[in-house]
Amino acid sequence: MKAFALERLVPAHVRAFEAYVPAPPDDVLLRRFGVTHLHRLNNNENPLGPPPAARAVLARRDAGEAALYPQGDGWHLRRTLARHFDLEPEQVILGNGASEVIAFVIKTFCEPGDNILTADRTFAVYEWMASFSGIEPRLVPLLDHGFDDVGMLRAIEGRTRVVFLCNPNNPTGSWWDHARLARFLAAVDGRAIVVVDEAYAEFAEAPGFPDSFALMRQHPNLVVFRSFSKMWGLAGLRIGWMAASPPVAAMVRKTSISYSVNLLALEAARATVWDLAHIAATQAHCRAMRAGLAALAGRLGLEMLGGIGNFAMLRMPIPDTVVHRRLMARGVMARAMTSFRYAGWLRVSFGDAEAMAAFAAALEAVLAEG
Amino acid sequence: MMQRAAAPAEPVTEEPALRLPPGPRFAAVGAEFVRGAGLASGIEPRLAERLALIAEEVLAAAPPQAGLVGLALRDRRHAVRLDVEFTSTELDLAGLDQSRVRDLEDGEDVGLYLAARLADRLTTEPARRGGLVLGFELARSYPPAPSASVPEALGPLAGLPVDPDDATLALLVDWAEAVGEGGPAFRTAPRVLDQRRVGDLFARVALDARRRPVGGIFWQPFGRRLMALSGPALLLPEGDARQALAAALLEAALAALARGATQGLVVLEPAQVLPGAFEVVGHLPGAAGGQHPVLFRAMEEDPGGIAWVSPGLSAWVTAMVRRLGLGRDIEAPPPPARALGAAMAAETDRAAARVTLRPLLAAGDAAAVAERNVALFRGQGFAQIRALLDLGQPGHAAFAEGLMRAGLAPAALIPDAAGDLLLLADGA
Repeated sequence: MKAFALERLVPAHVRAFEAYVPAPPDDVLLRRFGVTHLHRLNNNENPLGPPPAARAVLARRDAGEAALYPQGDGWHLRRTLARHFDLEPEQVILGNGASEVIAFVIKTFCEPGDNILTADRTFAVYEWMASFSGIEPRLVPLLDHGFDDVGMLRAIEGRTRVVFLCNPNNPTGSWWDHARLARFLAAVDGRAIVVVDEAYAEFAEAPGFPDSFALMRQHPNLVVFRSFSKMWGLAGLRIGWMAASPPVAAMVRKTSISYSVNLLALEAARATVWDLAHIAATQAHCRAMRAGLAALAGRLGLEMLGGIGNFAMLRMPIPDTVVHRRLMARGVMARAMTSFRYAGWLRVSFGDAEAMAAFAAALEAVLAEG
Repeated sequence: MMQRAAAPAEPVTEEPALRLPPGPRFAAVGAEFVRGAGLASGIEPRLAERLALIAEEVLAAAPPQAGLVGLALRDRRHAVRLDVEFTSTELDLAGLDQSRVRDLEDGEDVGLYLAARLADRLTTEPARRGGLVLGFELARSYPPAPSASVPEALGPLAGLPVDPDDATLALLVDWAEAVGEGGPAFRTAPRVLDQRRVGDLFARVALDARRRPVGGIFWQPFGRRLMALSGPALLLPEGDARQALAAALLEAALAALARGATQGLVVLEPAQVLPGAFEVVGHLPGAAGGQHPVLFRAMEEDPGGIAWVSPGLSAWVTAMVRRLGLGRDIEAPPPPARALGAAMAAETDRAAARVTLRPLLAAGDAAAVAERNVALFRGQGFAQIRALLDLGQPGHAAFAEGLMRAGLAPAALIPDAAGDLLLLADGA
């Protein structure tokens, strides 16, 4: 073989991108940090796990089925979701986690020279996915920890193809109500696809939270993302979905990957739809844990930030990355937020009572060290 | 006939490069190429001449089995650099180690020694297509800047700090220099502008309501995945506004670096302590006696990693790992594969009487080579001798014992999960 000039074969935007490196598995972390247990408060997982019907589906699967391909586009799950949200099955597209659905949308609507618009301090994957696809991510600063509608409208221009709103926003928990989202969509006036990522929508208890599926009927450029990882406790199975108006969904389907969702995920997700008791139990858990965290923040004199979601942020008096390490050494995983451009803040998921107690004790000890 | 003033040379975008066979026969050809290409690129004649001499010495010293040797001239604006690329990593680079001068018996090693002495900075890194690149860098000199006068009644900060245009950045540096703010990085505006143009310096500048600079913060590459932070330079008087300015500048720097390749910020010479924003990862002796803290700010969560540590350093590193709450597998390194031929690179700052040693090539004689290097530079009158070991590289540990025998002591552990940096210093 002649000299293999890898650099020549790789697009500049890929060369420039820094690969995301996930944390090592728990057994490695346990050894490295010298602890015997890790409380996971870093990924906004649901400590209640999946609803009972989904658990039952998983329990009765035959291991031999692993040899079979799943149905290619989630036929039954799409129909179940469509019935529940008054949509057509063709409006629903599934993905291997909502992150894959983000890729479908960017691939469908963007080409080099285009840009996407989102906030500077929100879920990172919109920005990353655009960057390594050769599409410019334009970031509008949050205003008072929330998406700035005026700033985003001002930033839309002729090459803006997709606007990503995270509602409620991860990591701030801030949210737009129905009227504000409706006004925003009216002002965008079809100039760009507007994606509303509602990964945490099921945690919303406020009556003003948007009914985005209803808005979609008036605004065919609206795309809604949902996840089975947060409320529904299926993070380990990786499944998310989007809904769009029929013509938009037909376009996105061209770039979607068939067979990317495994059969366990398809069946378990279908069994969750739409377990109101599970939603109520999870919401009650979040209310209790949020109150406990607020009490801890008050006791320690820490600013707390959070709205809708199974998480909140605390502002640390020392670097968040230091707190993260010291908590790890005490068996607690929380999320340092410097990488979310919230330097000095720590995001804490609402884990089970034992984990939250461990977090409180560990944080008090860490901060006492100075 | 009218004389025309020579137009300032535009930077050359296509870097001149050449490949030549190794050995003395082509050494003069390589030197002539570097000299000519340097002059044609607008590089100062004295620097082009030094680079030509380096090329000549290295080519002459390259053994026949080295294969074609690549020469590439890179104009870094504030520095010029000659990259010498070898297709093989199996080279004897011991001659590059300046401490070997007394051992050198043949012309080849003397040539490498001379080449290393001619460079202000010598680096080694893997070539993209395999092999090895030696980088010889010479710093450009700049005339002293005329003293600027700083307007009174600047500020307070208005809006978020910005990525400044050249004029704003130059004004900030001129004013910081005039009032002695910010430290050495905030000196000589043309140099700072050149550093930024080639990606060797990044800045955020805070402005007042009249768009005048009131403060700034810089960061520059430091090793593979870190940045060294300089400043902030603060032009506001003591008080709340000055504190708020420092915090805003640091926040802007952190925001600019988030979600990028940088794993952390290190501050070796703190011009201004920013309480709460950094952790102390060690102490360095100051030039005028005493000690100052080495500060660090991680940009990413540290998921833990491996630290290859020699037995003599194990207790110190283990204690630091515990104190910093790092998750590390502390391992004893395997012995180097080579028996002989260890080499260290030296980066000298003669104005500060400081030398920083880094391993170039590990071998069984690494400890002795390290010890000799310290003795050499101490003998040359360098008051501050430092060494930087990458604990992610098993081969680096082999140098530690010699450095400590020579009187260096561990001064700071700069965390990086992919390879912590251990800073050793004379008198630490």
